[in-house]
Amino acid sequence: MSPTPSLREDAARLLREGRVKLVIGYRAHAGGGQGPAVPEGACRAPLAGGGGRRPAFIEEAHRAGELVFDGACSQNLAAYLKKPEVRARMPLAIVASEAVGRSLVSLAAESQFAQGALLALAFRGERYEGVKEVEELAALAREAAPEPRRDPDIGRRLAELAAWPAQRRAEWWSARFSRCTRCYACRAACPGCYCQRCVTERNVPQWVSTAALGHGNYAWNMIRAFHQAGRCTLCGACASACPQGLPLMLLNTFLAAQAAEQFDVEAGLDPAAKPLIGTWDPEDDNSFFT
Amino acid sequence: MSQAGAPRITAFVCNWCTYAGADLAGTSRLQYAPEVRIVKLPCTGRISPLFILKAFEGGADAVLVSGCHPGDCHYTSGNYHARRRWGLLRKLLDLTGIDSRRLQFSWISAAEGQKFADLINDLTAKVREAGPFAGANPARKRLAPAPEEAQGPRRES
Ligand code: SF4
Ligand code: SF4
Ligand code: FES
Repeated sequence: MSPTPSLREDAARLLREGRVKLVIGYRAHAGGGQGPAVPEGACRAPLAGGGGRRPAFIEEAHRAGELVFDGACSQNLAAYLKKPEVRARMPLAIVASEAVGRSLVSLAAESQFAQGALLALAFRGERYEGVKEVEELAALAREAAPEPRRDPDIGRRLAELAAWPAQRRAEWWSARFSRCTRCYACRAACPGCYCQRCVTERNVPQWVSTAALGHGNYAWNMIRAFHQAGRCTLCGACASACPQGLPLMLLNTFLAAQAAEQFDVEAGLDPAAKPLIGTWDPEDDNSFFT
Repeated sequence: MSQAGAPRITAFVCNWCTYAGADLAGTSRLQYAPEVRIVKLPCTGRISPLFILKAFEGGADAVLVSGCHPGDCHYTSGNYHARRRWGLLRKLLDLTGIDSRRLQFSWISAAEGQKFADLINDLTAKVREAGPFAGANPARKRLAPAPEEAQGPRRES
């Protein structure tokens, strides 16, 4: 049975009862068309070809019938929580695929919304799981992903790079970073990139050159990836937003694997998790110090 | 590398331990390689990844980061915070072509003047062996983008 009727009913009920002021979900796009491509390494369902899906912002119960959900709903809706006009409409409910769910759990761990300000209309795969609080969402995420999920192709690629001499790696990355136009679509698409003023826009002093040239692009891509260490849920939104096709999931997956290996941290599974960077342990690895 | 072929090393050190250790090396008249440029910060906790990137961008052949031994930080935990950041940052830089010969970390106390002098000599020798970084340094300031054909295919993982 299609999950849509119960999704629509729940959304309408929450709005009617005044439990939420806004429901963010997906609707069918009249023009059809292709959504953004899902990059390899993204932990979400591939697009079911041609199904155009757009975000829906629903404030009236009678419009809940517009909501749809299927494998084509690939955009990470959690990124809208950065917008002041959306935040002004809390409490709200958000249609949460597994990827969105993990983003929400990770945002909760970073205290990005007050308790009770957010409900999820949760999915596991294409199965509707009902209205969930963040705690329940985390339990679902842990159940769905007991093992860390990493794209095996990305793993192979990383192993290949690791075997090269450093100079070859530098050349390979420099060539790719030089394509970056500094459009910041990657940042806009990421639910975790929520700073009001990004370090790349600070200019007194200017740490990251804004010129879309080698050095500025290197610094930008390093800082974007590094600021996600231990926080990135590998949703793939940044890479699918990048108009230049930079292999951002290589950087993200690499750091997620490092966070897991060095510090036993897996983002998006525990709303009470302490931030990886910002906490410390006297037993952290000391082997790289002379 | 500078004109004379000497490696350029930037050292970010904390005020309370490693800087005092470097000072001790100086006042004890210990000889160490002169290529190192020391930047003094209040604590290793203040050494942002941006500083390290900036040093490479400006053409450093190697960067040294050093502070108080674990447990000895003047601000109790600055070095613990820093250690965790660097554990990740150094791996990310290694992945993208700045390997661990070029980015080194140490704990040097105010009493370890000899350790400071030895470390600088050792680091200088290692960087000389690794050769000039300029051409291969992915962070270095370049004025033109890479040629189209060097940029690789669109959409890859
Ligand atoms: S950095 Fe991670 S969490 Fe952010 S959009 Fe990219 S994959 Fe998703
Ligand atoms: S989306 Fe791509 S091109 Fe735009 S800033 Fe990010 S990495 Fe650069
Ligand atoms: S004061 Fe030296 S590391 Fe904090």
